[in-house]
Amino acid sequence: MPPSAPLLKGTLDVLVLKALSWGPMHGFEITVWLEGHSGGFLAVDDGALYQALHRMEARGLIRADWGITDNNRRARYYSVTAAGRVYLRRASATLTRYAHTVVAILATARR
Amino acid sequence: MTLPTGRGVRRLFRLGLRREEIIRQEMDEEVRFHLESRIEQLMNGGMQPDAARQEALRRLGLPLEAFTGEMHRSAQRKEQRMALRESIEGVIQDLRYAARGLMRRPGFTLVAILTLAIGIGANTAIFSAVDAILLRSLPYRDPARLVDIVISTTSGVEDPWSWPKFGVFRDGSRSYASMALHASADATLTGADPARTSIEWVGAAYLHTLGVRVAMGHDFPADQDAGPNAPKRALISDALWQRRFQADPAVIGKEVRIDGDAYEVIGVLPPAFRGMSGKADALIPIASRSNDGLMEPWSLEFDLVGRLKPDVNPAQAVTEAQRVGTLAYDRYPFSQGTLTTSGTEKWSAKARPLNSIRAAPVIQRSLLVLFAAVGMVLLIACVNLANLLLGRAAARRQEIGLRLAIGAGRGRLVQLLLAESLLLAAAGGVASITLAWWGVHLLQHLNPADALQAQGIGPGIAGSGFDAIRLDPVALAFTFGVTLAVGLLFGLVPALQATRPALTDHLRDGGGAARVSTRMGVTRRILVITEVALALVLLAGSGLMLRSLARLMAVNPGFTYDRVLTLRTSFPPGVLSRDSMPGFYDQLQARLAAIPGVRRVGLVDCPPLNGGCNGTIMTFPDRPQTVTGNAMIGVHWVSSSWFGLLHIPLIRGRMFGPADGPGAPRVVLINESAARKYFAGENPVGKQVKVYQGGFDKGATVIGIVGDVRFGTVDSAASPDTYIPNAQSPRSNLMIFLGTSVDPSSVSSAARRAIAEIAPANPTYDVRTMAERVGNANSQSRFSAVLLAIFAAVALALAVMGIYGVMSFGVVQRTREIGIRMALGAERGQVLGMVVGEGIRLAATGGIIGVVAALAMTRVLRTLLYEVAPSDPVTYVAVVLVIAVAVLMASWIPARRAASVEPTEALRS
Repeated sequence: MPPSAPLLKGTLDVLVLKALSWGPMHGFEITVWLEGHSGGFLAVDDGALYQALHRMEARGLIRADWGITDNNRRARYYSVTAAGRVYLRRASATLTRYAHTVVAILATARR
Repeated sequence: MTLPTGRGVRRLFRLGLRREEIIRQEMDEEVRFHLESRIEQLMNGGMQPDAARQEALRRLGLPLEAFTGEMHRSAQRKEQRMALRESIEGVIQDLRYAARGLMRRPGFTLVAILTLAIGIGANTAIFSAVDAILLRSLPYRDPARLVDIVISTTSGVEDPWSWPKFGVFRDGSRSYASMALHASADATLTGADPARTSIEWVGAAYLHTLGVRVAMGHDFPADQDAGPNAPKRALISDALWQRRFQADPAVIGKEVRIDGDAYEVIGVLPPAFRGMSGKADALIPIASRSNDGLMEPWSLEFDLVGRLKPDVNPAQAVTEAQRVGTLAYDRYPFSQGTLTTSGTEKWSAKARPLNSIRAAPVIQRSLLVLFAAVGMVLLIACVNLANLLLGRAAARRQEIGLRLAIGAGRGRLVQLLLAESLLLAAAGGVASITLAWWGVHLLQHLNPADALQAQGIGPGIAGSGFDAIRLDPVALAFTFGVTLAVGLLFGLVPALQATRPALTDHLRDGGGAARVSTRMGVTRRILVITEVALALVLLAGSGLMLRSLARLMAVNPGFTYDRVLTLRTSFPPGVLSRDSMPGFYDQLQARLAAIPGVRRVGLVDCPPLNGGCNGTIMTFPDRPQTVTGNAMIGVHWVSSSWFGLLHIPLIRGRMFGPADGPGAPRVVLINESAARKYFAGENPVGKQVKVYQGGFDKGATVIGIVGDVRFGTVDSAASPDTYIPNAQSPRSNLMIFLGTSVDPSSVSSAARRAIAEIAPANPTYDVRTMAERVGNANSQSRFSAVLLAIFAAVALALAVMGIYGVMSFGVVQRTREIGIRMALGAERGQVLGMVVGEGIRLAATGGIIGVVAALAMTRVLRTLLYEVAPSDPVTYVAVVLVIAVAVLMASWIPARRAASVEPTEALRS
């Protein structure tokens, strides 16, 4: 197992939305996408993922529909709604600024 | 136009299973899929099946069972939140849609909102009065434990208490934690600037019984009731403290002079409390009176309030009062010299909740009648709006049919249509608050305390009178409730009607249209009939009240009062000896008569239409005397000029003359009623009588008979009265009547100056023209009659609008039919008759129902009407005529339009 870090609060929603912005995915695909794009660094708890999906569906950021996978199995696919796209744009801007700021501060402190 | 879809297909295929079960199953499936995908992924990475399964389960973070449980709960929560969100979004969407629809028709919207604002606002205003006067709890601690106790005779007449009778009752009762006598009285604050004010004579436990605390100083000590001649102490009102003592914090221990006596101020009352009369400037102890003023058992002047012990229920108190009251009767069975019913009949005591006497029955009834009337006005407004919305629904039937066809649920459509009516109602409700605010201020300022007294109606209890009417949270909650109810009421019928499944026929257009529009027509006709019936009930009620008022105003009170000013002055005790009073009054009359514009001056102790005056018994020395057969008679002290000033005729004998002075033999006049009742078949002139007041119990000669004057109320006939010449029995407090040749109110300041010149210690007060007094005496009836008439007029106007709307709509719908008729040779006159005839048929049906309902409902007005029967035929004929004319006018315009239809155009369209 590669070393992993727990997700900072609130970032999971944004990352899931980012994943879904590429197209509808089922729950497992999202896990794989997150693991793949973080080089295995981010550990996503399965329970936390599904709870995040429920939460965002209730808020109208994503919607869920049953679909068929490539190998003909029934799976629940999640996709971003218009409201979700707006939320993603705002939240990722905030998060990016936040990360840059933290990085900048840590960099100056090193000197 | 976009259609709100709301809940769409998402749940369409899930019918059959219970929702929670479905959610669990779907979640299970999702978890299973997730696990299987994970195992597959791990095996692809080279893991053994068992190890892959172990690893997949481990990654869940929880044992499988716990994990699925957690997921079920999470999914369930999500479903609930989404359902809530969807319904809220649906409502918002509907409201937005409704608002857009209303904005597109500003005329209709404005009329609807105004109608509702008037209806709801009037209801709120009247409700606030009902709340203040009948419902709100009295402003004392735990008011449900307070009772009012009176002397009550076998024939049901009620009398107040005297100090000695109260003593027997107090000593015999066990039900009360505390009790106190109290009586409101007028008094003069003597000193540098004499002023008339109101005080209350009270028992020591008054504040304690009511649960009121002094704001400063302390309450009466417990031994304050040890009379007669208990220490003269006073609790003063906050208002008096500010006015006379400039809010001096060191007022305690200072002295206030009331009617010439010095009282030590021991406390200041809280600003909101001015005694149960609501106007007292000082509370002074009854027991501080001298022996004569206190210990007379037939000096019945005090009300009694008691607080029940915690373990005593009101029914026990009622029984006990009856028993203990009888003990008091046994001690003081009969009276010799006072005009009280309990002096001649067997009596006992009656206890009843204080709350039950908060408002006079006539006020209670008037308010409830007005409340019912204003409710009917709102109902008519609702019917009108329902009619308008129904017309609109007919215009939208294609759209509604389309929605039903593509699967919108009926409930969803009803919600959509209700959103419109609720939105209208809400706008009307908000707008109504302005009107209610205005109405409440109007009611407050009417505050008919003087007027009510002039009608012999008790002042009620302070804190539950007209001055307590407010637009408070309770009234606003009422507004909210009414708004909601109204929105549902006028929205529901059209909404249900418009979404009937049969309406889908309209998609096919043609055949179904006639059938459905007929059904709509029936509903609309029923609504119009309701409207006419309601309007007729209101018109009948207000017609009866107006007729009663007219009768009341036409009553001959026994005198004329054109150009008469009345004012009062009184001597503080000790300023003038009794013997020098006649001389003073001569001087005063001469001085006043010299004022330019004053033609005559007269004196009387109590003015006509005062709501009642002083009285006693009269006996006849030449007849055998019985205790219970005493002749009750009203006694009035007058100057001889008073009769001429008010044009009261001398029927027989002679008037008082200059010779009937202090030393001369005592003489009296009696009125026609007394002559008829007590001297049937005899000539009273020259007869001897004894009048037990003013020193006339030694006997006097009747010298003449004068016309009857109504001293009580306008609507009660004159009772036997006798007149004593002021010169033979001087009074320290008389009312001055000035007959003028100019506007009477213009001489008031000159009269005040004249009195101040010759009697600087006398306050002058109660300055009013006699016309004002007479007007006040009718004000209660006028108040109810005028308000009812306004409500009825609004109702009639609304009903006319309703009929006009239905008739116009009918004509538009039948244009084709009318065209055919005319093409086939119908005359314009026939078409006119057809349409008007339809209007009359509707009105006749509504009218018959209305007359029957009115006959049943106006019976509640019986006690409010003066010499008019609730079934008065004249009123009913007039009301039916008014309705008939209104309906004719309302259907005339649509009928004219129908008659001007061009057959060719009508057939082409």
